[in-house]
Amino acid sequence: MKQNNKMKEILTSNQMIIVYIIVALSCAIGMKNPAFADFSTIITLSRALLVTLIFAICEMVVIISGGIDVSFPAVACAALYIPVVVMKEHDMNSALLAFVMAAGIGLIVGIINGFLIAVLKLPPLIATLGVSSIVSGMVLTFFGTNEISRMPKAIKGLGEVFLFTYTNKNDITYSMTVFIIVPIVLCIAVHLILKYTMLGRGIYAIGGDKNAARIAGFNVVRLQFIVYIFSGVFAGIAGMIYCILCSSANPLNLMGSEMMVIAAVVIGGTRITGGHGGVIGTVLGVVLIALIQNNLIMLGVPAYWQTFVVGAVIIVGTAITSLKAKAIANSPKV
Amino acid sequence: MKKLKNIDHTLLSLLAMYAVVLIAMAILNPKTYYSVLNLKAMIYVFPAFGIIAYGMMLCMISGGIDLSLVGIANLTGVVAAYILVHMGGKEAGTGAIVIAVVAALVVGALCGIFNGFMIGFLKIPAMLVTLCGLQLYTGLAMIITTGPGITGLPQSYIEIANGGIGNIPFVLPIFIIVTIVVAFILNSTTYGQKVYFLGSNEQASKYSGINNLKVTITTYMISGIFGAISGILTSSHYGSGKSNYNTSYTLLSLLIVVLGGIHPDGGKGKVAGVTISIILLQLISSAFNVMRIDTVITDMVYGIILIIALVVPIVTAKISARK
Repeated sequence: MKQNNKMKEILTSNQMIIVYIIVALSCAIGMKNPAFADFSTIITLSRALLVTLIFAICEMVVIISGGIDVSFPAVACAALYIPVVVMKEHDMNSALLAFVMAAGIGLIVGIINGFLIAVLKLPPLIATLGVSSIVSGMVLTFFGTNEISRMPKAIKGLGEVFLFTYTNKNDITYSMTVFIIVPIVLCIAVHLILKYTMLGRGIYAIGGDKNAARIAGFNVVRLQFIVYIFSGVFAGIAGMIYCILCSSANPLNLMGSEMMVIAAVVIGGTRITGGHGGVIGTVLGVVLIALIQNNLIMLGVPAYWQTFVVGAVIIVGTAITSLKAKAIANSPKV
Repeated sequence: MKKLKNIDHTLLSLLAMYAVVLIAMAILNPKTYYSVLNLKAMIYVFPAFGIIAYGMMLCMISGGIDLSLVGIANLTGVVAAYILVHMGGKEAGTGAIVIAVVAALVVGALCGIFNGFMIGFLKIPAMLVTLCGLQLYTGLAMIITTGPGITGLPQSYIEIANGGIGNIPFVLPIFIIVTIVVAFILNSTTYGQKVYFLGSNEQASKYSGINNLKVTITTYMISGIFGAISGILTSSHYGSGKSNYNTSYTLLSLLIVVLGGIHPDGGKGKVAGVTISIILLQLISSAFNVMRIDTVITDMVYGIILIIALVVPIVTAKISARK
């Protein structure tokens, strides 16, 4: 009986519901368009969701800690644009330097966010919104607004490093980029840190109740700093990866992606008020959003429906989570 | 001396910023800045974001936030444009315009009620609901327009935001009426007091017999109606309905409200502060315009002002606590 209950719990959990939706959606798309049911879909999809996944993991950690970060698109844009501009101007050619600069930019913005939120106790949404407009304004003002398509050689070369290639029946070759390793490693690392270290438990604790966490002996200010710095640094690295995958640097391309990322995190079962959530749910959320964004057209749904469908999916997803929480709160206590 | 101390700190600092902008422009470029033409240009623009800021203010006083206002504005603008185009287009009469305006207001109210219901009944954080709302309403507007803007609106509709009697544009009385209505609602009705209660302590307001759900839904509904008014003005101003007008207004309205002394945690703030900060922001952006400074820099300056406006009261409070 007890095992049965546990089975039921797993089968009706948030994550499983997303899995059902993903499977159903994939089946529907596959039936309508047989080209979807091919190994190449996985390659194109993972290329499409790679950067979003890094953003989503960062955002998830921030949200679990009870905050929110909407400055990461601006950070990513700064981190992909400034290094390329600087390297072109000084005729440098080093991929390592590009990544170091990108991470450094993320670090600086992360420290600013951390200072505003942890030390000055500003509301995270408003603080990061302000920082976001400052960062993107600075990039556009001091570094220009032109798209750069002639990239330094070292950066361009990295975009052509592949893990493996796959040729389908029609002789079209699909290549898996080497950068897919970054989100995979990040996911595993974050999962382990959140689950098994004091640092991870502290992040959950300050998201659940800051005061209780402080009394329990967690250094709230330090933890918040770590969270925002982590988010900034990896947003910077993700921006650089995006730039390499596109093989062009545009200071505006990623702006506006924050909504999709927050959506993916929330659909994945991370509670926006903090203290709850996990990597597996976030990964599923990202896959679902990527599927909707990239393959809804295959179902015959016009592109201009996309914004609405994503919004509707999040609203329904959060409503279900909240109704469940309400049911638990109203159920008889043992 | 005592009287001077009693004046609100935020109001004083806002007035100081007025002085700075006005004096700076008097030195830099008085000829263009202090011309009737520039004054008129300013008056035509600020009601559209000012009214949105009032919606944001109401929600923030109630302890929430409304990030979907720009989405509501665009959706209602598109709805109005759609109705006008299908009721005769350029030849549409006054009746059609009335129907379009009423429909837009109703749609705005419905969007607001939806927001309020999700926040008050399902207890989903306001930030998330309205962020999704922004997506939903923008998406709906996109579905109706299928992308490009809806054009071909009747001249008399376009006149709403572009016309006027003599040198006084129609939008000025609209803005003043909205301001008076907001001030009246917040200061002289029981509902207004309930909004402040709800914002300062949700639990206490619940146990003192206030129907939190009703107050929340009403608040977001009013905010939605304000979004609709702004949407009507915007679509009239551009002569078309589109899903992505004025996307910068979300940040701008947040900035105005925070600058105007509304506490982000809710429960505190006055209409006067917000009204003054709306006009201040228009003075600043107009100054940038006159100086031919890129809009990109304007956004950056807004961000900096927002952070400073938030940080200064905290730092001063810390310093005075130390004394």
